[in-house]
Amino acid sequence: MPFSLHFSPTPLITAPSPLSKPFFLVPYYHTLYAPKSPPCSSTEHALTHQGKQEAFDRRPEDSQTLPLGLRRDAMPSHVAVIMDGNRRWARLRDLPVRSGYEAGVESLRKIVEICCKWGIKVLSVFAFSSDNWFRPKVEVEFLMSLFERGMQEDTGIFFRENIRISVIGDLTKLPKALQELMVNLEEATKNNTRFQLIVAVSYSGHYDVVQACQRLALKAKCGLIEPSDINVSLMEQELETNCTEFPHPDLLIRTSGEFRISNFMLWQLAYTELFFAQSLWPDFGEAEFLKALLAFQQRQRRYGV
Amino acid sequence: MWHLLHVTIHLCYFAINIANALESHLISKGLLRRYKSLHISKLQYLAIVIESEDCRTSNVIELLQWLADLGVKHVCLYDMEGILKKSKDFILEKFDGATLFQENDVLLDQPLMTLEFASFSDGKEAVAKAANVLFMKYLKSGSTSSYQGEQIFTESQMGEALKTVGGNGPEPDLLLVYGPARCHLGFPAWRIRYTEIQHMGPLKSMKYGSLIKAIYKFTMVQQNYVKEERQGKTMEWGRTGVDIAKSTTAPLLACFAPRFGK
Repeated sequence: MPFSLHFSPTPLITAPSPLSKPFFLVPYYHTLYAPKSPPCSSTEHALTHQGKQEAFDRRPEDSQTLPLGLRRDAMPSHVAVIMDGNRRWARLRDLPVRSGYEAGVESLRKIVEICCKWGIKVLSVFAFSSDNWFRPKVEVEFLMSLFERGMQEDTGIFFRENIRISVIGDLTKLPKALQELMVNLEEATKNNTRFQLIVAVSYSGHYDVVQACQRLALKAKCGLIEPSDINVSLMEQELETNCTEFPHPDLLIRTSGEFRISNFMLWQLAYTELFFAQSLWPDFGEAEFLKALLAFQQRQRRYGV
Repeated sequence: MWHLLHVTIHLCYFAINIANALESHLISKGLLRRYKSLHISKLQYLAIVIESEDCRTSNVIELLQWLADLGVKHVCLYDMEGILKKSKDFILEKFDGATLFQENDVLLDQPLMTLEFASFSDGKEAVAKAANVLFMKYLKSGSTSSYQGEQIFTESQMGEALKTVGGNGPEPDLLLVYGPARCHLGFPAWRIRYTEIQHMGPLKSMKYGSLIKAIYKFTMVQQNYVKEERQGKTMEWGRTGVDIAKSTTAPLLACFAPRFGK
């Protein structure tokens, strides 16, 4: 079914700077290699490593060329994604469902890379909903192992690329090993400042609101706040998205053509621009992301006030 | 070269707008067969979100009349600032075919449309009040729990608390957003977990054909997906041609399969 947009003003098109590089070049971090041996103390290695590090440090986001039509001043600070369509993607190719999830992880890696390149500060992804616990046990176990494997494999990249990882959701339901991994990764990356990836696992918007109420109730019981102080502002501070400087997504993207938010960040999405993409998540790439960002930048956003 | 590209894209957008307007016109004239029979019974509760600055009661009443003509029985009108709420009596007076929705109303088929009016105070503010209600009950219960990891409130308790403060109506099946921004502008978040959301553009440019198309899209999508999702079993079967062909209703839906297949 064609996705219909109400287009208003034509997106701005600016000619690229003659000195800028095309946006499709392989991003910098793909050319770095994780050191497999302890750092060599030789002068040559130190100078080479220092040169690469300086080059990385010298690369401010402002010098990264944005694709045609995108304006840096209008980039969303926080993008949220409902990564829907992995299983459908696999079924359409007569592949096992796990292949769809693995393809979804690759898609996520690409989008994280693009966000870093284009100066988006926070990306929240709906990796596993509270509702998903009802899926077949084999599938759930595979997903848990996929999360564990993905976080372990990408730890080096998180440190190298200065990416902060935050996990939101009811982690008590997760396997102990995964819980520990997530908590440790959050702690280890908490001072990273270039980009923040928020992974929602065993999460629902209802759960988030209820746990915020719970935290406030305990604070009031301990005398930290008065019961009469409980208001919208205090509620917001206790939501799990208080882990970021930008708790309210500017843009929500849902893939696979579904037009729902499916219990994701219900409170936080009040003024979030909603973009429903037709493609399935493993197929959602740079072109689709660019479309979503262009649509976002076109909108007359009055935030309801 | 850039100017040429600019003009080309501008022409494409113009052509798309013309095509949409033409389609809307054909739908409203009943010339597109597909849209002639709507399974309106699938739409039990409809929410309309309107940007407060665009609230014109004449447009709202016309929209309600269209919905009544289509057979929609239960509608919630929302704008953030509560302008529609303040105009409630005027709207009910001018639009004969409606009564005010009462909280304990069951969503049954009835001769007159029920109308609910909501604003920001029924959303986040109501949740904050409900949190207070929960806390007072928690204090009265004398519970000694102070462990943050222990669950002291449940989602159903929150639902009940919201009812107490008047902030928990039915969950809309479909939410239509009239305004420039494609967001739900603070509609009571507790109620839109699985609500289908469609952006309709500014209220002043509303078209009957676009309304029919939006409702039609909803009735075709709802098939299997949301039912399972609401039961806590998320499935993604309902949208693809392959999956629909495998279902027991294949003969009925086969003519729509090409629309959904990738």
